[in-house]
Amino acid sequence: MKVVLIFDQGLAGAGGKSNPNVGLTAVKGGIGSSLMLEPHFEKIGAQVAATLYCGNEYFQNNEEEVVKKMTAMAKKVNPDFVLCGPCFNYPDYARMAAMISTSILENTDIKSCAMMSVENGDTIAAFKDKTPILKMPKKGGTGLNDSFADLCEFMKCMVEQSAELENVRNRVCY
Amino acid sequence: MMQKLEKILMPIANVLSRNKILIAIRDGFLVTVPITIVGSIFLLISNFPLEGFLNMMTSIFGEGWDAYLGRVSAIAFDCVALLGVLSIGYCYAREKGLENRIAGGVVAMVCFLIITPQKTFVELEGAAEAASFSGFQFTFLGTAGMFLAMLTAILSVEIYAWAIKKKLIIRLPDGVPPMVMESFASLIPSAIAMTIFFVVGIIFDHTSFEYVHYFIYKVLQTPLVGLGKLSGFEVIYQFLSTLFWFFGINGPAVTNTIFSPIHKVLTVENYEAAQAGLEMTNIFTAGFSDFFCNFGGGGSTLGLVIMMAFLGKSNRMKTLGRLSLPAGIFGINEPLIFGLPIVLNPLMAVPFIFAPVVNTIIGYLATVTGIMPITLGVQLPWTCPIIFSGFLVTGSVMGSVVQIVMLAVDILIYYPFFKLLDQRYVQEESAAGNETDELDDLSFDDLELD
Repeated sequence: MKVVLIFDQGLAGAGGKSNPNVGLTAVKGGIGSSLMLEPHFEKIGAQVAATLYCGNEYFQNNEEEVVKKMTAMAKKVNPDFVLCGPCFNYPDYARMAAMISTSILENTDIKSCAMMSVENGDTIAAFKDKTPILKMPKKGGTGLNDSFADLCEFMKCMVEQSAELENVRNRVCY
Repeated sequence: MMQKLEKILMPIANVLSRNKILIAIRDGFLVTVPITIVGSIFLLISNFPLEGFLNMMTSIFGEGWDAYLGRVSAIAFDCVALLGVLSIGYCYAREKGLENRIAGGVVAMVCFLIITPQKTFVELEGAAEAASFSGFQFTFLGTAGMFLAMLTAILSVEIYAWAIKKKLIIRLPDGVPPMVMESFASLIPSAIAMTIFFVVGIIFDHTSFEYVHYFIYKVLQTPLVGLGKLSGFEVIYQFLSTLFWFFGINGPAVTNTIFSPIHKVLTVENYEAAQAGLEMTNIFTAGFSDFFCNFGGGGSTLGLVIMMAFLGKSNRMKTLGRLSLPAGIFGINEPLIFGLPIVLNPLMAVPFIFAPVVNTIIGYLATVTGIMPITLGVQLPWTCPIIFSGFLVTGSVMGSVVQIVMLAVDILIYYPFFKLLDQRYVQEESAAGNETDELDDLSFDDLELD
């Protein structure tokens, strides 16, 4: 399974709040927090083909452009799945992830989801009917590993269009 | 093994980080931290560890200038239990879901004052009997009352919340302003809590303990704070804090529910000893924990960030190191935690967990051998940079020297793990450059939009 990750600058390892204006960047393979996901991805035979990211402020100032270009880049790479997350309780990143995942599902045939903690209540309410949004703990909360296991189960079901998808979705998504 | 460890730690973290009483105590003490820091700054100015500075202040403001500053530090330290009971009461009211949280805090404070001795006896030379005057003593409002303050805050708000839940409230007709309505709704719950504490105070008056303060101090505070005086106390705290972080769980948020009241007492006890002209004996104060165990954030990652910035071969390491260094100097390593990453990264687990433990042992040995002085009873902002913090919190340049030694040791601890990760990233980056497929020249610049 070929996967594309959509990160913000913090998860990409391109600095945190000190570097919020980093522009749209595409890197082959996994970077930054990808390392946390790799052991889980291995279990379902998933490999990170590319990581796409930009800074939080860059997104805020160029929302339309970011969503459009991220979608176009996902289409170009043409993975089996695009993961927009994990966003923890970072509100800007969560909003960006939900918007990009929605756009990918609406404009391409690629499977996608966002992943964020319950603290992003407004984003979850606004987008949960447009894209699957997986549950996860906030930064520093308990259950991070379990949420990654749920993510992989969901990705596998979605890509393989398993009959179990609806059950899994009800369990792991908002 | 890691999975088994996580299975053990998760329930513990859940219990500690979701327990309403422990959260209220932890958050309540956090409310008092800014007050303690401001008080510490006043205390530092009046006791600045440079003779020339003190002489200059005396020449400008005259003899006794430091006594004025003492008015602020005395409130921050000598009234720490009073501040604590109010803030813990407020936080527990929040945890109990009460609408009128400040009423919970005020009731807690009042209950604490009800059981606090309101008369002070003073032996006068030549007088047959001790003289007495009305008023509270700092003795009962400071560290000696800390654990009683915690208990009183929790119990009084518990009683208050119970009465509210049972609807033991006075209802006023519609149209009465909300503030008046809330005020009257608190009347009976407050009366119940205050009466119970009034009775408790009288009961203790008739025991050999005389005051509840003495009872709690003896049976609860002394044994618990005694744990903080054991040599393994800080090592366990640091080890657990970073171990939880490795699994993505905010370690200090969990461990501080237990450890922070003890750190607080140990710190203020040192202040009180210094004020009384006695020797300070507590090694593991908040200052020690903040400035001699971790540099650059949890896991003592400043040494790692310095190596990433200046010794990193991979672009990823260099970029993240240089971007993280300014924040790292001020004790923040969030970009590293998820960006390197450290969370769920087995390679980094060993140095991340053990560097603070080794620092703690070095700091402990440096203190007991007299290489550096014991940390003062002051609390500085945890963002205070290395070298400055070591000097200010010990009042000696040796504090800074020990910090520099610790940083060098941290660099040595992290070095092999840093090299391994850096080599891996270099290989990934060069492999990406050598391979020729359609993903090699990914760029948003020449992206065609439909």
